[in-house]
Amino acid sequence: MRKYVLKRLAQVMVILFCILTILFVLFRLAPGDPVTRMVDPEMTPEESQHLIEQLGLDQPIWKQYLIYLKNCSTGEFGYSIHYGEPVAKVIWEKLPNTILLFTTAVLLSAMVGISWGKIAAWRKGKATDLGMTIAALVTHTLFLPWLALLLVWIFAYQLDWFPITGMVSDEVWLDPDAGFFTKAADVLYHMVLPLTTLFLIHFGSYLLVMRSSMLDTLKEDYILLARAKGLTERDIRNKHAAPNAWLPVVTSVGLSLAFSINGGALTETVFSWPGIGRELVFAVSQNDYPLAQASFMLISTVVLLSNVVVDVLYAYLDPRIRY
Amino acid sequence: MENKTVQILKAKRRALWRQRFMENWRVFMRNPLGRIGMSLLVMFGLMAVCSYIPPMIDPMYHPMTGVDPKVVSSVGPSWQHWLGTDFMGRDIFSQLLAGARVAFLVGVSAAFMSVVLGTAVGMTAGYMGRFTDTALMRLADMIMVLPTLLVVLMLAALFGQLSIWMIVLMIALFRWPGVSRIIRAQTLSLKQRPFIDAARVSGASHLRIIFRHIMPNVLPLAFLYMTFRVTSAIVIEAGLAFLGFGDPGTVSWGMMLQWVWKTGYMFQAPYWLLPPGICISLITLSFYMLGRAMDEVLDPRLRDETQAG
Amino acid sequence: MALLTVENLGIGYQTAKGLLKAVDGVNFSLEPGRSLGLVGESGCGKTTIGMALMGLLPPNGRITEGRIVLDGVEISTLPEDELRKVRWNEVAMIFQAAMNALNPVKRISAQIMEAIQTHRPDMDDDAALLRVEGLFNLVGLPLERLHDFPHQYSGGMKQRAIIAMALALNPKLVIADEPTTALDVIVQDQILKETKQLQSQFNIGIIFISHDISIVADVCHDIGVMYAGQLVESGPAEEVFFNSQHPYTQALVSSFPTLAGPKTKLAPIPGEPPNLTGTIPGCRFCDRCPKDTASCKLDHPKWQQVGPGHHVLCDHC
Repeated sequence: MRKYVLKRLAQVMVILFCILTILFVLFRLAPGDPVTRMVDPEMTPEESQHLIEQLGLDQPIWKQYLIYLKNCSTGEFGYSIHYGEPVAKVIWEKLPNTILLFTTAVLLSAMVGISWGKIAAWRKGKATDLGMTIAALVTHTLFLPWLALLLVWIFAYQLDWFPITGMVSDEVWLDPDAGFFTKAADVLYHMVLPLTTLFLIHFGSYLLVMRSSMLDTLKEDYILLARAKGLTERDIRNKHAAPNAWLPVVTSVGLSLAFSINGGALTETVFSWPGIGRELVFAVSQNDYPLAQASFMLISTVVLLSNVVVDVLYAYLDPRIRY
Repeated sequence: MENKTVQILKAKRRALWRQRFMENWRVFMRNPLGRIGMSLLVMFGLMAVCSYIPPMIDPMYHPMTGVDPKVVSSVGPSWQHWLGTDFMGRDIFSQLLAGARVAFLVGVSAAFMSVVLGTAVGMTAGYMGRFTDTALMRLADMIMVLPTLLVVLMLAALFGQLSIWMIVLMIALFRWPGVSRIIRAQTLSLKQRPFIDAARVSGASHLRIIFRHIMPNVLPLAFLYMTFRVTSAIVIEAGLAFLGFGDPGTVSWGMMLQWVWKTGYMFQAPYWLLPPGICISLITLSFYMLGRAMDEVLDPRLRDETQAG
Repeated sequence: MALLTVENLGIGYQTAKGLLKAVDGVNFSLEPGRSLGLVGESGCGKTTIGMALMGLLPPNGRITEGRIVLDGVEISTLPEDELRKVRWNEVAMIFQAAMNALNPVKRISAQIMEAIQTHRPDMDDDAALLRVEGLFNLVGLPLERLHDFPHQYSGGMKQRAIIAMALALNPKLVIADEPTTALDVIVQDQILKETKQLQSQFNIGIIFISHDISIVADVCHDIGVMYAGQLVESGPAEEVFFNSQHPYTQALVSSFPTLAGPKTKLAPIPGEPPNLTGTIPGCRFCDRCPKDTASCKLDHPKWQQVGPGHHVLCDHC
């Protein structure tokens, strides 16, 4: 198992290296002068000279490439033009926010999708099944930014139950007396709408996969044996069918991670949630290439690593797979 | 050089094809998902066709450049403007119709390109095997895990504003791996069949085997999988336009949502906020339903399941 | 008193084309410690009877007439909750190992312990595990493979594990549905011998379902030959196998090769069994029967006694 994880991590490194190389080549091919795109025009001449040297922009192209690889591997992505700060500092602050929202959303929708899919399969053809399947189909195909706007319009604007945007309220976080739980509750309060958006979009696909996987599993002979053993229907469903039916769902979670991170970036943007997805969108709109590049690399890393986690989880759930 | 038996065999095969097609069509139309999906698509198709009419009635209905001189900001539905106007007095209904055209254009052309690419790669990988197979499938794995929307966004960061055709091309370039995996599996199983061996023994070249013997057998599958690609292409384009990186020369539904969001009308103008979102969601749903129904046609196992239940 | 009595049993499946009578008017009984082999082609209703004995007919199947009495209890009318207590406790089933009957994600030990603890809730894990170890010894499985997953077992080992599971609660009746079909001949022979020995050791009644009449003749005391949902010939194994009277049984016997004995030509049975959705007026086998006469198609055949305990459903035997 350990060998497998190490092998997968090595693969991730190779892919990241490929992406970096492609970005380097494209950046040189793209119109515009690399120096002006990487260096903030408002810097003093000394500062900008220092930055040019650090990024190796005055060197021959092959040497630039080596310096670029070295910088990227140590997390030196240059200076953000908009913030006037090292890019690494800007995005490291944002990473936990993205991970908080993204993992909560994926886990929550997977859990709900799996348990409802199980019920739908068990009650196949009944009203519960029909209702759940239709709900899953419809929410799953809603256009995410529109759903986000709709939720804001209804629950934040019309009903005024939740904040319209942001992740924290200043009055809570600047209050020296506020304890950890007050702050956590404040974040949670801001998280309700973005989380609902992501949840509504995602749970449907997990539900549909779990439902059909469960229906396949229920046809297996070990289910018949379990029934012959005199187990209750409940035990057959939970102890025999479900553990087998999870496997395709885990695969589908892995395959849909890229789709989920697209949605994550859109959600962060609509709700002004200070994460890396929103940072990438913002950087692109501000022509802040160093920031865009770093956010993109960080997002790619997150996606690739999550895929490794999913594969390891699969191996853990299925005893037939031993690496 | 064709003798009579060959001609008869060919005619028989054609007849068989037609029969299978009719059979599949019947299964497809019996499925409620297929029927609903199909009718919704016909509706969107009509919208796309009708999008040429309003600008002909009055230039002020032109979705991009037509401005109602009497209107200075967004107003609600009226006889003049069935769905109201946007922030600068353009007719929302004609924008909605034009959006259908863009959605079909983007969806179908991106899906077509990615299916062609995916089929080519999948057939090559499956037929050549060995190193070519490994290399191509690794590449596919790599592209598959990347978030396409953000990749296209990154390309926008590099090259500036992307035109609609550029966006279509980019989507196609990053959405082929799924198709190629299915086609590769199909090619691998076809390769085991005797008729491929027979062709090889009788001296057919690799290209001839691929194009004459393998391609006709994988194409139906490839084009049925196109429906799923259409959905993702439409959603990616809409997402891109919503974030403000769409082609400024086109009116897409994503673009309309961006306007209502960015100009701050979203709290006052539900007549403007609702239609584009409903359209994107519905067209996605209809292609998705179509895909599910087609899946059933392709996979007899699923067919039996629904019949028994 | 008989362990199991099946009286005039009829089972139907609700299908799109109407009610399919998979089993029609079947009678037999089984004494404790005896074994009965049900033989026939696929689709003849033998597996359906096996499932009915466990109360495990699929949702579209139901008992249309007759009754099944096990140890004085009529199980064909028992409610689901009561039936669940009978299952495995009194009637166990040996599935075909190749049929994926073991759950791939659960350890073998856990799957057998589960069967025990479901019916003996007061038994703790240690006691149950001890019982499983005893069963492993009984069926000749190595104890160090106790906690393996099914995919780590060979086909023969899986079959032994399934037999161990069937014996877990000392059932009075075991239904063995094609238990050795997918195994190679040597393993099949071993397992059949051991099964026979275990049966006499624990005095279990066995219903042995198979398409291979030579195996059944070897293992069972009695044989019932089924065709198109009906029992067509029954009697002591030797009698039915070596002195078969019904044309169908004769065809079955000659369609399998024998290792010993004179070299004879294998005779496939031409034709197909009839469609069971409608009503069939005469003998069900007459379309494929060499002795077929005009009256066969019109009248239901009657049971004839042809030897001690040996009966045939045919008017011309």
